[in-house]
Amino acid sequence: MAQQKSCSENESLHYARRKFFKQSTLLTALALTPPSLIKAAGDNLDEKASALFEKQSLEIEVNGKKHQLSVEPRVTLLDLLREQLHLTGSKKGCDYGQCGACTVHINGKRVLSCMSLAIMQDGKKITTIEGLAKGDELHPMQQAFIKHDGFQCGYCTPGQIMSAVACINEGHANNEDDIRQNMSGNICRCGAYPNIVDAIMEVKQKGGTI
Amino acid sequence: MINFDYIKPATQKAAIDALNKDATSQFIAGGTNLVDLMKRGVVSPQKLIDINNLPLKSIEQQKGFIRIGALTLNSDVAEHELIRKKLPLLSQALKAGASPQLRNMATVGGNMMQRTRCPYFYDTTMPCNKRQPGTGCGALKGYNRMHAILGASDKCIAVHPSDMCVALTALDATVVISSRKGDRRIPFADFHRLPGTTPEKDNNLQRGEMITAIEVPDNNEFSKKALYIKIRDRASYAFALISVAAALDIKGNTIQNARLAMGGVAHKPWRLTGAENFLKGKTASLENFNQAAAISMKDAKGYGYNNFKLKLAPNTIVQTLKTV
Amino acid sequence: MGYFDDDDRVNGKAIVTGKAKFIAEHEVANVTHGVIVGSTIAKGSITAMDTKTAERAPGVLAVITHLNSPTVPGYDAGGNPVKGPTGGKGFQVFNGPAIYFNGQPIALVVADTFERATYAASLVKSQYQKNEHTTNFDEAGKSVVALEDARYKDNIRGEVDGYKNAPVKIEAEYVVPIEVHNPMELHATIALWEGDDKVIVYEKTQGVKSSQRSIMNAFKLKEENVRVYAPFVGGGFGSALRTWPHAIAALIGAKKTGKPVKLVLSRDQMFTMVGYRPFTKQKIGIGATADGKLLGITHEADSITSMYEVFNERSVDVSRFLYACPNVTTRYHVYPFNVSTPTWMRGPGEATGTFALESALDELSYALNLDPIELRLRNYAETDPQNGKPYSSKFLKEAYQLGADKIGWKNRDSKPLSMKEGEWMVGYGMGTGVFGAGRGTAKALARIFADGTLLVQSAVSDSGPGTATAMTKIASGIMGIPGNKVTFELGDSSLPPGPTQGGSTTTSTLGSAVYDVSMALKNKLVELAKENSIFHTTEIHSAKAEDFVLENGNIMLASNRNKKISYTDLLKQNNLNQLEVTEESKGNEEMKKYVAYSYAVHFVKVLVHPATGVVKINRVVTATDGGKIISPKTAESQMIGGVVGGIGMALMEEGVIDNRYGRWVNNNFADYHVPVHADVPHIEALFVNKPDLILNPTGAKGIGEVALIGFAAAVANAIYHATGKRIRELPITPDKLI
Repeated sequence: MAQQKSCSENESLHYARRKFFKQSTLLTALALTPPSLIKAAGDNLDEKASALFEKQSLEIEVNGKKHQLSVEPRVTLLDLLREQLHLTGSKKGCDYGQCGACTVHINGKRVLSCMSLAIMQDGKKITTIEGLAKGDELHPMQQAFIKHDGFQCGYCTPGQIMSAVACINEGHANNEDDIRQNMSGNICRCGAYPNIVDAIMEVKQKGGTI
Repeated sequence: MINFDYIKPATQKAAIDALNKDATSQFIAGGTNLVDLMKRGVVSPQKLIDINNLPLKSIEQQKGFIRIGALTLNSDVAEHELIRKKLPLLSQALKAGASPQLRNMATVGGNMMQRTRCPYFYDTTMPCNKRQPGTGCGALKGYNRMHAILGASDKCIAVHPSDMCVALTALDATVVISSRKGDRRIPFADFHRLPGTTPEKDNNLQRGEMITAIEVPDNNEFSKKALYIKIRDRASYAFALISVAAALDIKGNTIQNARLAMGGVAHKPWRLTGAENFLKGKTASLENFNQAAAISMKDAKGYGYNNFKLKLAPNTIVQTLKTV
Repeated sequence: MGYFDDDDRVNGKAIVTGKAKFIAEHEVANVTHGVIVGSTIAKGSITAMDTKTAERAPGVLAVITHLNSPTVPGYDAGGNPVKGPTGGKGFQVFNGPAIYFNGQPIALVVADTFERATYAASLVKSQYQKNEHTTNFDEAGKSVVALEDARYKDNIRGEVDGYKNAPVKIEAEYVVPIEVHNPMELHATIALWEGDDKVIVYEKTQGVKSSQRSIMNAFKLKEENVRVYAPFVGGGFGSALRTWPHAIAALIGAKKTGKPVKLVLSRDQMFTMVGYRPFTKQKIGIGATADGKLLGITHEADSITSMYEVFNERSVDVSRFLYACPNVTTRYHVYPFNVSTPTWMRGPGEATGTFALESALDELSYALNLDPIELRLRNYAETDPQNGKPYSSKFLKEAYQLGADKIGWKNRDSKPLSMKEGEWMVGYGMGTGVFGAGRGTAKALARIFADGTLLVQSAVSDSGPGTATAMTKIASGIMGIPGNKVTFELGDSSLPPGPTQGGSTTTSTLGSAVYDVSMALKNKLVELAKENSIFHTTEIHSAKAEDFVLENGNIMLASNRNKKISYTDLLKQNNLNQLEVTEESKGNEEMKKYVAYSYAVHFVKVLVHPATGVVKINRVVTATDGGKIISPKTAESQMIGGVVGGIGMALMEEGVIDNRYGRWVNNNFADYHVPVHADVPHIEALFVNKPDLILNPTGAKGIGEVALIGFAAAVANAIYHATGKRIRELPITPDKLI
């Protein structure tokens, strides 16, 4: 598994790249970014060519499909999903971990993809809203959201649904107040909250892991 | 965000070595605060050392204390049976923080290392001694509603935003720190610093060190009456205006021992030692609680927008003591 | 009119599966990424810009500033207006060095990836000549002078400040801070030029036609050469009512680079670039007889706008028309500050105005020792107090009754500080919301196919209310076609022109167009049917359109339902693959004799913790007269949503600017609090549900705005009842109650 890649392997890759950088000292200076250094960097940078060396390899499984990728370490999982894999179901609502619209499951746990660096997910299994339904058959939570009108504009909905599924599986949906507390990481500006709580209650009452 | 280098060492030694090798490197665990700060350009490490491969994720009962690995997720700690049973205060505090998604990402060590949420710290166009020493404190005469009333300096009036740390301070936890030189232990209450003239330093962790565990005494007397109350501007997913962690050991109606700490009031989780000493041996009465709260506020000072905390803080202390 | 009873949203499946494409999600080949750089001062001008480093950063295609921006033909030649604010003239991006507010767009970086564009944007540096700015709204009327405009003239009915002579009177000042729409979807634009004079724009907008018009005007393009798409809009609440400078910047960027540009605002830019509800300070003087007859209301408001554009709203107008009152004086002033231009936010003006008026009325009710509802009933307006016109419909009394019964208003002890649950203080409060019900002009197309399906189109956006669902219901009801065989297409400016979604008029305006076009299509089918062989009897020849019934895909004679033919057969027999009609629909003459308003009455039960000042909204009942409710399920959701917005307004929303820098200090979702799940209880939304058929043939009046209007006052009134503390400055955070 990629995750188990030995330290020395990682290190050697790293040093190969760094060696290149050191030959181009100005590049290193640029990465440091204080304005004075940038100014000192002058005119003869070849950043564009060197940019290729800034990418690192990554293997992830998204909704059951394996992807071999090469990404800049600064790319978040959310941007990877939306911009590179064209899985736009996970939403960018704030990009700072303050709204929950980007909620996905990593190895079964609900997390915020906007605060997760893609490179750190090497070897992990990711489920997004696109991976929740079984073909044409909607997931019970998706059905319940439609039935209880758990959305208006629909932008926060994928995050709400991913969060709601996890909320039940964690055992945090025992009553309405429990749901409200444990869904509070998902903001809905249209104010569909009461309907979302109804949807989760219904799915919860049907029982079992979902 | 600048592009940076990324490595994921397999051992603690390799991680610490990597940190020592490169002055611009930084550890990353959950990333819930670091990625945020990097996106805003507040910090720009050139290399991230991902420490998630390290075996620091266990919760273990040891003799007289519970040891929690630094990489244990906040959610795992909060839900762990041992913690819920023996350290309910810690469990409550963790659940009061952030959101379930963030708690599924954030680690114990990362929670301790999180930076202040002061808006002047976050906005790189504003003055901030913590971000850029010597530029001044934007909050001192600015919008300081969330800011410190205790232990602040004219260089910085930021508060530490953690809930977990308030509970750990009250619970007399110990921080286990590893470095090339071996392990050292410091009391949790001494981990975070007051700003003084060097607000850029949040805590006493030295360069080249790694938090590897927290050890919390499992004093059973404190597990029966423990309560974390957090007052905030909305019912969840918000930082504390004031929070109070209280654990009381009561026999009959006499307080044998009290553990009290407050959040949202200082640059570090604020242990209420004066109140604890006062309550020892006293009866659990409203009058005593009021006195304990008054003692706690002795050196408190408001800065304008946060003057209300001078009243909200003692009220919350009393409320917590009453309810617990 | 009968509607099919499938109440689910027609676009629900697309949304819950993540397949719905919001603006930034449309795949455009070779798309590049644009990131806006904002100014770091609030007033002055740019003296120099260093874009070199950014230009050399990896992947960067262009850095555009006022120094190198392509000319926007619709912009003023001399740069942004420096003389002073004018009406309706938005900020012209990259049109000169002048700085009017902190965070003003000063550069656009275009790069091949989002990460690279964002990083390069951080490398753009500028130097300024700084001038003294002001964002301290307390200076309104002091160092900052009000703008002069005919619209701000004092409005006087009866005696000036007539309330002063009343035996019982209240005078008080109320403050509504800046509030920010913050829809969950970040504002975004994708601009794709096809040659020099043709452009395709994916734009977050509440009006695809109005955005098309703005872009045509800016770039002097023909209507057929500007196509605006917005098939899914992730909320707006007013922020997407106009085409903002960043959208024009995206078009400029795409023009400059020759490549499609996708520009998504960051959450902090959402606070400075797409409007907000303006800070407004209000004074109310209200006077009544001892038995509660209003004698006078004086309502004054001081509000804010930017240095380059006038914005005003109807904050004081509610006092002129909500209650019968002989002497009403309203004064409204707008002051320019170094801020971006505000814009309409849900319940615009009226939401601000009713916080003051409905709080003051509550204060008066206590001064009179009269039930707040009884006070309102004693001053119930039977005709519009402004002009004496009758209402086309008004069921406000019924709404009071409905809500009061449901929450158990009579069972409360009306004395402040009288009710408790454990250590929590309990309070009940109510507030009235009112908003004009209008009807504009719209076109819709209806096309029936030989397979029995129906397509209805109009160029509107749906930012969440469920417009497509309501329109589907109207069309399916008239045409007798099940909802699942009807498609309502929107979000494309090339469709027949529809209204902008705002001011609670979409259902009234567009619904009428869909009604009319469906009726026209029905008539066409009837005409065909009359010629059809099985119908070929004298009985049918003489029948009129209304003698036919359309049901379940069949057209039949009302008097003899055995005489029927399916649409499918009818079209086939006439060798038609489809049959279509386009109709324009506008307000009727009859309506000029009337006035129309929608009403909501909000009832709230709060719990207040005495020691910590924590407020819990425990229960909400909202009773609404919004005319006929076309789509009950989505309408109920819309009312609930307005209430949730009202909870935010009442308890937590406040935009804060540090006046020393003129810069925002809480421009993010962690510091600008909007309600989360845990803040919101079960909410009961009730409807009087009586049609207003004078206003329009659907009978719907509109509900989107009244859902929020008056709610903040209901909360403040409930908090007074619980605590005896009258809070006149929003939001009511714990610090104000301890």
